[in-house]
Amino acid sequence: MKSLVQKCYLILIFAFLYLPILILVIYSFNDAKYSMQWHGSTRMWYNTLMQNTEIWSAFLHSTLLGIAASCIATLAGLLASVHIFLSPKLKKNDRFISLLLLLIIIPDLVLGVSLLIFFNYAHIPLGFFSLLIAHITFCLPFVLLTILSRIETLDMNIYLSALDLGASRLRALRKVLLPLLFPSILSALLLSFTLSFDDVVISYFVAGPEFNILPLAIFSMIRSGITPELNALGTITLFISFILVLISSLLTRKK
Amino acid sequence: MKIKPFSIYFIYTWLILFGLIPIGLIFVVSYLTDNSLHLATLPVTIDNYTALISPLFAKVLWRSALMAGSATFLCLILAYPLSYILVKSKYQTLWLFLIIIPFWTSSLIRTYSLISILKIHGLLNTVLLKLHLISEPIVFLYSNFAVMCGLVYNLLPFMVLPIFSNMERFDFCLIEAAQDLGANRWVIFFRVFLPNTLSGVLAGSLMVFLPAMTLFYIPDILGGARSVLMGNLIQNQFLVVENWPQGAAISMVLTIILMVLLCFYRPKQQGVLV
Amino acid sequence: MRKILRGFWCGVCTLLSAFCFAQTPMVNVYLIGGEVPQNLIWAFQKETGIKVNLSTYESNEALFAKLHANRKNIYDVILPSSYFVERLKRYDMLTPLDLKKIPNIKNIDPFFSDNPYDPNYQFHVPLVWGSTGIFYNQHWITHPPTTWQDLWSPALRNQLMLLDDMRDVFSMSLISLGYDPNDVNPKHIEEAYQHLLQLIPNIKLFASNAIKPLIIDEDANIGTAWNGDIAKAQGENPRIRFVYPKEGSLLWVDCLAIPKNAPHLEEAYQFINYLLRPQSGADIILIEGYTSTNLASRDLLPPDIRNSKIIFPDKSILAHSYYLRDVGESVLDLYNTYWEKLKLAC
Repeated sequence: MKSLVQKCYLILIFAFLYLPILILVIYSFNDAKYSMQWHGSTRMWYNTLMQNTEIWSAFLHSTLLGIAASCIATLAGLLASVHIFLSPKLKKNDRFISLLLLLIIIPDLVLGVSLLIFFNYAHIPLGFFSLLIAHITFCLPFVLLTILSRIETLDMNIYLSALDLGASRLRALRKVLLPLLFPSILSALLLSFTLSFDDVVISYFVAGPEFNILPLAIFSMIRSGITPELNALGTITLFISFILVLISSLLTRKK
Repeated sequence: MKIKPFSIYFIYTWLILFGLIPIGLIFVVSYLTDNSLHLATLPVTIDNYTALISPLFAKVLWRSALMAGSATFLCLILAYPLSYILVKSKYQTLWLFLIIIPFWTSSLIRTYSLISILKIHGLLNTVLLKLHLISEPIVFLYSNFAVMCGLVYNLLPFMVLPIFSNMERFDFCLIEAAQDLGANRWVIFFRVFLPNTLSGVLAGSLMVFLPAMTLFYIPDILGGARSVLMGNLIQNQFLVVENWPQGAAISMVLTIILMVLLCFYRPKQQGVLV
Repeated sequence: MRKILRGFWCGVCTLLSAFCFAQTPMVNVYLIGGEVPQNLIWAFQKETGIKVNLSTYESNEALFAKLHANRKNIYDVILPSSYFVERLKRYDMLTPLDLKKIPNIKNIDPFFSDNPYDPNYQFHVPLVWGSTGIFYNQHWITHPPTTWQDLWSPALRNQLMLLDDMRDVFSMSLISLGYDPNDVNPKHIEEAYQHLLQLIPNIKLFASNAIKPLIIDEDANIGTAWNGDIAKAQGENPRIRFVYPKEGSLLWVDCLAIPKNAPHLEEAYQFINYLLRPQSGADIILIEGYTSTNLASRDLLPPDIRNSKIIFPDKSILAHSYYLRDVGESVLDLYNTYWEKLKLAC
């Protein structure tokens, strides 16, 4: 009985999450340029999309940026969380957390504008690096929050006993803490990649003309209207994501 | 160990350089005067702050807080049971990925898909009409309802991930122990399960409430640019009116209010986070 | 993990150095979205080998803010409206044009050279022009509007879709009260604001972007719009009509300009010259629906487009229309205050 309720709930939530996605996919075949109602099916939008090299280079750029930003942010965040966890409750940690929370509170728009001003004065050219810096900056707090909220439930004694038993610090870290933290590391990676891949507001300000990213390319297409070409792009992104998930789950199963 | 202090210094420096200094710039700009050519110049003035002491500003602040609060609450009641189910399931990683994947298609496109569902001749109205629950299409779009749908839809994973990551560490033996000691389901939930997962709930609420207060493109697209929320107000100041000092002042006020709210929560919690 | 990271950074640096030191000629183009079709950009790239880095903005104000925020100018070509060309000129933010490098300027309708905002094309070249008027869906609207004042009718409760553009909305109010939309008298502007407050119950939404789906799918049945959008919308829903209000409609011209200290000046001239070809003008009209300033393009258009009253309004309407002009910073500040109050009052 319980598991039936649970199953129904799960189905409902996923229906809620995937309904707009389903609409997105179906309408990518819509035979109408601007109307959002169904007018019959066609594959021409996929053809148009395939010829659109701008979008694909923007897509590649976004993926590159997302991977870079999420890896760096997660790595730095992980190590810092571990350090906080292992040091006694210092006042420094409190201040650190406050700084972090301050960064989350600042609206995206304000962070974007302030970083733009900062880059101007520091003579950092707008392009890949400015975007990377900005993305890491807004991912860090989320990463830290996610990992910290999990790490504080751990018992420090596990780590200390590993050290007592003769493991080096690095080994204790890798073999004891990391496996325990794995779900939150994964959450943090996914979260920061999603944040980076989908960010419009901050990127709008700190992106340069030569390194175009996908959200901005889409944003510019919205002005003239959401043609099903964008839906086709969404569908293909979805398809690629599913394939990736499939591959990774097959790989992890082999281990 | 060499790595760990280095990592913390790296993050400190990074956050100070790319976090604190830009925020400091905003703080400074909020005290300057608006100037069309140089965006912000001397003289130093507090006019930008005194201009906010008005019923209109209070109305926008209240409306935004209400909207963000409701969205956070809705996300919470959806995400909490979901995290529980995920934690108990065998295919956690798979479910996590399945929740995240929709969010790799651009949020802009997904919000426009929401329009397809909520419009006059959209899916929702068509279904309701076919089931004879309504006789005329309901105008869902350009209302608070539509904005709420958009906010909850776009911010749900930010609630799920922290709660899940925290709940996963919960020792379910505690529940068995409590049952053995004779506690009923409600007591177990409120005295055992909830307190131990509270830190995840707070982290998730934070990650939803804050963006919900400041996102501007969702109320813009789904709310018809009529419901002016804090995010729209700030965006208007920076991008339309070009009064950067005023925009900076509004941002600072918002920041301070949110910080005060956070301080209110912190003493109640133990632990590293909050 | 560290090794992977190191390898990753090496890869990134290699890619970046390829970007930085590549000798590909390029031009950074910052245009308002929805007016220059993508295929023109591709065709230009193919023909000249110059890479076009296209970014877009949604409004003149956003363009101005972005240009201001960048200390060192990174854009080569921009597409501001005429009244913003005036404003940018005032702030000395534009490069004077060497018209010898734009031979295709001869294709532009001579009507545009004798203009009040930048005569003889010193700083700009007009590319696209259009008008702001009223659209309505004849199936749902029983009394078709003919004047701006008709929008204030109580029968239109919660039905209007207004353009999310400060000058356009205030101009509508000023014209309906009998004033010039470029009026700088603070009392008149306040009157216009009060008049707009009375319109609030009729306003359903403000939108300038992606309005075609809303109009075609009948989510918005009446309101203000630019003629190009309506021309396209009519193609998918024949019930849509466009009206040039009797009191006078608004005319705007979007112009190509080169910001000061553009990094790729020669390529900028080549791009501008390309957009002034007759075929380019025809593409703009056919694909985006907006009227090109290019006289030579008209011969390339099919008869139904050439005769469209929406895309090519009658001379009588043009004579009775107003051009938006820059009103100066202090008046703009006043406008901004009222616009914000209006939005907050909704």
